[in-house]
Amino acid sequence: MWHSEVNAQTPILRAAITGFNVINTLDPAKASLIPEFYIIYGVFNSLLKFNEKMEISPDLAENFSIVDPKTLEFKLRKGIKFHDGSDFSADDVKFSIERVLEEKTASPNRGKLQSISNITIVNTDTIRIETKAPFAPLLNYMTNTRTATQIVSRNALKSMGEEAFGKNPVGTGRYRVKDWKSGEMIELTGFAGAFEGAPKIMNVRCPMIAEESSGMTAILGNQVDLTSTAPFADITTLEQKPDIRVIKQAGLNTRYIALNNKKAPFDDVHFRRAVSMAFDRNVLVKAVIFGEGVATPGILPPSMWPDNKPAVSDWVNFNPERAKAEFAKSKYKPGQEGTVLTWGSNWWRRIGEIFVGQVNQVLGTKLTVQASDFNAAYARAKAGDYEAMVMGWLGFVDPDEFMGEMVGSKGFRNIHFYASDKMDILLEKGRMELDPVKRKLVYRDAELLMLEDMPLLPCFTSNVHNLLRANVNGFVQLPYSNFADQFGSVQIG
Amino acid sequence: MVFAVGMTRQLLGRLGGVFILALLGSASVFFAMRMGAGDPAIAALGDFATPEAIAAFRTKWGIDQPVVLQYWKWLLNALQGDFGTSMTIAANVPIAKLIASRLPNTMFIGLLALTIAVLISLFAGTLSVLRHGQLVDTVATSLAILGISMPDFWLSYVLIYIFALGLGIFPSYGFVTPPESFSAALYCGFLPALAVAAPMAAAFTRILRTALLETLHREHVRVARSFGFRASFIFIHYVMRNALIPYVTVVGLQIRYILGGTVVVERIFGVPGIGALMVDAAFARDYPVVQACALTFLIGVLSVNLIVDFVCAALNPREIT
Repeated sequence: MWHSEVNAQTPILRAAITGFNVINTLDPAKASLIPEFYIIYGVFNSLLKFNEKMEISPDLAENFSIVDPKTLEFKLRKGIKFHDGSDFSADDVKFSIERVLEEKTASPNRGKLQSISNITIVNTDTIRIETKAPFAPLLNYMTNTRTATQIVSRNALKSMGEEAFGKNPVGTGRYRVKDWKSGEMIELTGFAGAFEGAPKIMNVRCPMIAEESSGMTAILGNQVDLTSTAPFADITTLEQKPDIRVIKQAGLNTRYIALNNKKAPFDDVHFRRAVSMAFDRNVLVKAVIFGEGVATPGILPPSMWPDNKPAVSDWVNFNPERAKAEFAKSKYKPGQEGTVLTWGSNWWRRIGEIFVGQVNQVLGTKLTVQASDFNAAYARAKAGDYEAMVMGWLGFVDPDEFMGEMVGSKGFRNIHFYASDKMDILLEKGRMELDPVKRKLVYRDAELLMLEDMPLLPCFTSNVHNLLRANVNGFVQLPYSNFADQFGSVQIG
Repeated sequence: MVFAVGMTRQLLGRLGGVFILALLGSASVFFAMRMGAGDPAIAALGDFATPEAIAAFRTKWGIDQPVVLQYWKWLLNALQGDFGTSMTIAANVPIAKLIASRLPNTMFIGLLALTIAVLISLFAGTLSVLRHGQLVDTVATSLAILGISMPDFWLSYVLIYIFALGLGIFPSYGFVTPPESFSAALYCGFLPALAVAAPMAAAFTRILRTALLETLHREHVRVARSFGFRASFIFIHYVMRNALIPYVTVVGLQIRYILGGTVVVERIFGVPGIGALMVDAAFARDYPVVQACALTFLIGVLSVNLIVDFVCAALNPREIT
């Protein structure tokens, strides 16, 4: 296996998927788990992608134009081949996106694309996407991220069938899947005919290492060259190792405490605000993720729009006096009980424990933590059988994926039972506003409204990390946690 | 003749017992899994799955049907040797294939661990009796207490830090399966096996030491001594043989923990074994995989118990009825 050939003649990139070991499918329309996309990024291309400055740039489309507020036109590159040697064309684009929209595909990402009304092939290398209304997130959703809009080979999918395609995907990316052992490893082999050029290292092995700490010992012991994550607690130590390089940046993620707005005690806005002012988010950053992140005053990660001034509200500043005053306005008294669901064994769990400790100290409440695993906690939250829960989302690129889904009345991630007409109107405005500057202002208003109503308690954004052996070059990290899209330009030595 | 009939009757009775226990065990695992919170659809489709996608998933896997009916269907298929396919950790992969590829790795590490533990204990146990009360005995007894008290995950990391990252003798992560290369499997498997073996070696050493000391002062040994047999002859034929009965029982009892005991160690060292498979499946609510793993464990443990009983009977024929 991958261990025994460490010193083999042909160069091999050993890129470990750490913290996860489940990959069920590599069909972009069906994929949902982060490690599934780690690989999909390298096997497929989308119409667009993000460059190293997180600007939208060409991928399978060489350029695009906004025909009118409801119509985007993409000019496709010519002469692109799929892994099976067949030609890429506008047919494949239309097929791939329409497939995500079809109900029977049951794509987890279907909801994101539902504003699309029509996809027209203008000619073999031009395609138009029309939406029912102006839809600002559309360009972001056409990138090679967790969007399901990666372009698959129509013929290959039709002839293989969905299930087989999910195991042996045919795309245009710089790597193909060579071997796949469930829960253990995925092996990739370079695609010499890739339009982005043949990869520098043709053989890649991706062992799946469930324990992050084992991923760390693996790279320290030179069993792997690169990891997809790193344990927060060990970053400082790792940064001092001469043979390891830690690359990190503020991630596109948000960590917060979800509240059930329909159930005592978080059904009272004064209580929610009081709790929000009763804990110090900076303490969480220090104690939970060892300083590897920043406290956030809202839902949107600061790295989404680095130049943007965040919404400012006192409701998220630690202030015991104001917290107590606000608590007095609520219908609850000191001694109030409540349960915070928390999960996992390490830092996720500490969020709940430290939060509860601080709030109880300031307000005299008797909140407690109940620990289980994510699946159990989330199933309860979805069913409304909870009061508060430690939560987080990561790897999304559009503000609507965060705010629309979390606080929109119909959002899939709205487990708070929060519904506000004012909020829905703002979120709709955010979806329709094509001017980026104006769009930012809409989301700032939405954040301020969210902080007034406090349906959830924003806590912090954490850094994303990759560990590299010191001789590994060419991997460019992006804040949404990219991975295999970079393998093609990686060099060892 | 009587001996053989007794053995056969006992064996058949025990096999029947194994079958009934396996049935009860599988039912309790099945219903316990379904009663616990959690949802396979969330595990498979991720946290942003649409309601339609979740509904489609439930229908596809039949988990929208009454639980009793689901169990009945599972049982009918299982009795025909069909464990179905994985739902959430290796979608659509036949479970029999998953277990067939994972179980040998767990058994390899387990047997390697058992061998290490038996070798260490035979050596340390005997030595500490022969040097009873001396420094060697104290050291062996202290190490045994340490071995029993050390959690396996901690010991695993200690071994990695010393032998892999520090001395660089062994790999810090990864495994080569025995069919690929037996020597590489021994090499990669040594540290995980040692981590699994440590508590066992400690338990074995203690029981062997106690049993040997006890037997040493029994009457038949004194009689043997009065015959003027050589000390080494007496130790091997009169002391060791009798002391081996409790020893083998304890070794047998510990074998059942090999399967479960490797769970954490497998994850830390990256050994693709059945313990890690079951844990992953449980977290992802992959009901049929958990079910099949549990049944494998159960049958494994019951078979080991059976074998241990018969080995003990063979060592001590007096107890056969």
